[in-house]
Amino acid sequence: MNDTYERVVRLLVRNFGFETGDVSPADTFSELELDSLALVELTLAVQQEFGVKLTDDDLGAQSTLEEAVKVIESKPVAA
Amino acid sequence: MARAAVLCGLGTYLPSRAVGNDDLARELDTSDEWIRSRTGIGQRYLAAPGQATSDLAVEAGERALKSAASGTGPDGADAVVLATTTPDHSCPATAPVVASRLGLGTVPAFDVAAVCTGFLYGLAAGAGLIASGTADSVLVVGAETYSGILDPADRSTRAIFGDGAGAVVLRAGAPDEPGALGPLVLGSDGTGNELIQVPSGGSRRPFHAGQAHSEPADPYFRMAGRQVFRNAVERMSDATTEAAARAGRRPEELDVLVAHQANLRILHAVADRLRLPRERFPVHLDRVGNTSAASIPLALADAVTAGVLRPGHSTALTAFGGGLTWGATTLTWPAVVPV
Repeated sequence: MNDTYERVVRLLVRNFGFETGDVSPADTFSELELDSLALVELTLAVQQEFGVKLTDDDLGAQSTLEEAVKVIESKPVAA
Repeated sequence: MARAAVLCGLGTYLPSRAVGNDDLARELDTSDEWIRSRTGIGQRYLAAPGQATSDLAVEAGERALKSAASGTGPDGADAVVLATTTPDHSCPATAPVVASRLGLGTVPAFDVAAVCTGFLYGLAAGAGLIASGTADSVLVVGAETYSGILDPADRSTRAIFGDGAGAVVLRAGAPDEPGALGPLVLGSDGTGNELIQVPSGGSRRPFHAGQAHSEPADPYFRMAGRQVFRNAVERMSDATTEAAARAGRRPEELDVLVAHQANLRILHAVADRLRLPRERFPVHLDRVGNTSAASIPLALADAVTAGVLRPGHSTALTAFGGGLTWGATTLTWPAVVPV
């Protein structure tokens, strides 16, 4: 995967105690056992890391990491 | 010179009945691990049967007045502002009976309804009474008995909320002295009013006969946790940044940030968003839960007692609650001894 993916994985490692090898692009957040509050926390962390604005539903429990990366990359970066 | 509102007394009261997570797990589908991991809360206190919000408010108010009188504060107060979500009655306000029972006579007294932001809104009202010359000293109380509005079957709200009261005394003073409140940043967003709500019992969905409604009455406090979580983090961190800027301070210069004690994960997320160490955010909710409008004075007293908050500390207060509402202010912590 690409740089965006690597940065998302770093957020998962830093904020949720994953090891880099624990996750793969095809994993859904639900499979990673991130509950609804954790998805909100990840949304806030992604916004801060990438300077983008996400809606409440952009990172869903059934999204794979690969899909989440595409959503993040589709967002305009705030000035 | 402008008349600033100076914090000069601090008092708190918790009811005697402590309810631990294991107590809740005996009657609800929950566990100590589930509650702690999602909220950081370990126990909360509940009012005794028959103990109303004003009973808690009087206890905390009396102690705040005692704290003020033992320091630089006045003997008594010229006005009472009570922030609460759970008044004794829907009419009249609870503040007048609190003022009378405290022996304050016929002073102005009114309630402020801003849910968990109530204490910040109450501080703003108190500071306004002082700035306008209406009062030279104001007792600002946050008091709640959420136990009376929680759905007995709702494991999420019952795990979170507790009863309690906290109060401060504000007196007229100079803007540059310790304890003087900086500019108060307040906000609201009514488009989110359904995210935190007691659906029935007000004029939108009255209880009384003759008002037919398609939906069954719901007299309980309801909260949409996920959306509230995100709004709370964004609003409290942005309000804190703005309050600091308006007081000429940068967020990183703040020594202690006493944020509304809603959820430990919210406190951590606010710290992360402000890029500040989590240690600067005192935690009290582990022992008392979310006490809504009472949480900030309760957390202040706990932080002072623990030695975490000391005179001279550059301090911020911030809260978020139903409405939606939010607020923040700053002050240099004064030499106040909580009672």
